Amino acid sequence: MSEKQLLQVRKQKRLQVFLFFAAMLALSVWSAISTGFSFSGLFTGTVDSTKFIIFDLFPPDFSYIASLVEPALETIYMSFVAMVIGAIVAAFLAIFASATTAPHPIVQVAVRAFSSLFRNIPVLIWTILLAAAYGLGTLVGTIALIMVSTGALTRAFAEILEEIDMGQVEAVRATGASYGQVLAQGVLPQFLPGFFGWSLYMLEINIRASTIIGMVGGGGLGFVIQTQIKLFQYEQVSMAVLLTLVLVLIMEWITNQIRERII
Amino acid sequence: MTLLQVKGLEKKYPDGTVALKGIDFEVNEGEFIVIIGPSGAGKSTLLRSVNRLVDATNGAVIFKDRDVVKAGTRVLRKIRREIGMIFQGFNLIERASVLNNVLHGRLGYMSDFKGMFYLFNQSQKKTAYELLHRVGLGEQIYKRADELSGGQQQRVGIARALAQKPALMLADEPIASLDPVSSNVIMDYLYNICREEGIACLCNLHQVDVAKKYATRIIGIHAGEKVFDGKPEELTEDIINQIYHNKKKELVANE
Repeated sequence: MSEKQLLQVRKQKRLQVFLFFAAMLALSVWSAISTGFSFSGLFTGTVDSTKFIIFDLFPPDFSYIASLVEPALETIYMSFVAMVIGAIVAAFLAIFASATTAPHPIVQVAVRAFSSLFRNIPVLIWTILLAAAYGLGTLVGTIALIMVSTGALTRAFAEILEEIDMGQVEAVRATGASYGQVLAQGVLPQFLPGFFGWSLYMLEINIRASTIIGMVGGGGLGFVIQTQIKLFQYEQVSMAVLLTLVLVLIMEWITNQIRERII
Repeated sequence: MTLLQVKGLEKKYPDGTVALKGIDFEVNEGEFIVIIGPSGAGKSTLLRSVNRLVDATNGAVIFKDRDVVKAGTRVLRKIRREIGMIFQGFNLIERASVLNNVLHGRLGYMSDFKGMFYLFNQSQKKTAYELLHRVGLGEQIYKRADELSGGQQQRVGIARALAQKPALMLADEPIASLDPVSSNVIMDYLYNICREEGIACLCNLHQVDVAKKYATRIIGIHAGEKVFDGKPEELTEDIINQIYHNKKKELVANE
């Protein structure tokens, strides 16, 4: 490449970078105007919400904790069951969704589309839709969480399968192993660490999500929070929020411990 | 007796690369054939077409009277289990034990179910122990495969291939990722075992001196075509230059 061409390429690169930043700035300004965002509004809002937290939410009503035990357990049950079922179904689906193990490209596209549908409809919407069919309660929450867990894990597992070392798989295939044997002996050992890692992460996500879906009728702690807000029992609400936070932190700690030991 | 016949083998990859342009040769029982040629000449594709890790576009590969290219799933399994293969990158299941890796060599002889659930019987395990002792890894049996050094991993690879009780051994650049000392050890193991067991071997190499040391016959490949097939003594400097440089030198000169 000649000197002149190189200079041309450099100029072009610079222009691209400039245009990118200009476009970002323009988009930010436009969005701020359309949403009525302003820094002064941000400030007055902060003052109001601080007042609300200090005068209404504090102090948390610790005597209320006894009646929160059951909803808290419900939250854990829902998240756990959804994770286990989601992981098992997703592991099965991922075999068909990954380019390396799918028996046919069409199957791959179909399963990917299916899992994308489950994953990309927010868990909140699933709960509202399902509540219409099953009524309020933990069953609805659990099913909604299963849907989203399955969708998200199928995608994650499929990607793990696509990143495995095909050399190892090829070597097992070369011994005359059948499709099932290649999966069990060549693919599975490479798949397991990622499988456990992602499933545990899903459990964490489910715990967080279950409080949200509780608010639209999915049961658990979220349901309590929503009910008490409607009754203006803010000190009890803050107790439930505090418990949710503790629950999430404990769950994160436990899953991290397990992850370190397995992987 | 002829063990393997390769007839007019052609391979064109979906991206348009023509890797093999009609290769013919035969392998007799017990031969130790080394295939040499520059990178990208099609050595690897040729070897992989023999046990159909790569699907040939045209031509035939006849192994013990069965055409590998046209074989259905069941026949292909039966063909593959009689052809051992070792790889440049060793390709052991890294998270599995050394023993399990060797046992994988028996999968082609097992029912689907037993093979999937690690139900290897005692005699299979005993054979695996013996093979590991034979390649000098008696101490490492229960280690994870990725804890071993490269040379040791390749010896596990040889043991895995031997567990298949193969009639033919394919070795795709078996020493390309090893240091000179380990390379010697591996080539000695591979050569001696194949000779002792009467296993025919097709081995890709790019070190001409190593090829000359071990081969009973050498095949030279250049740009997907066979340009030499003969005894190691017949491989002159001229022919070596032809195999490795041929038209390539001219291309470089023109640039």
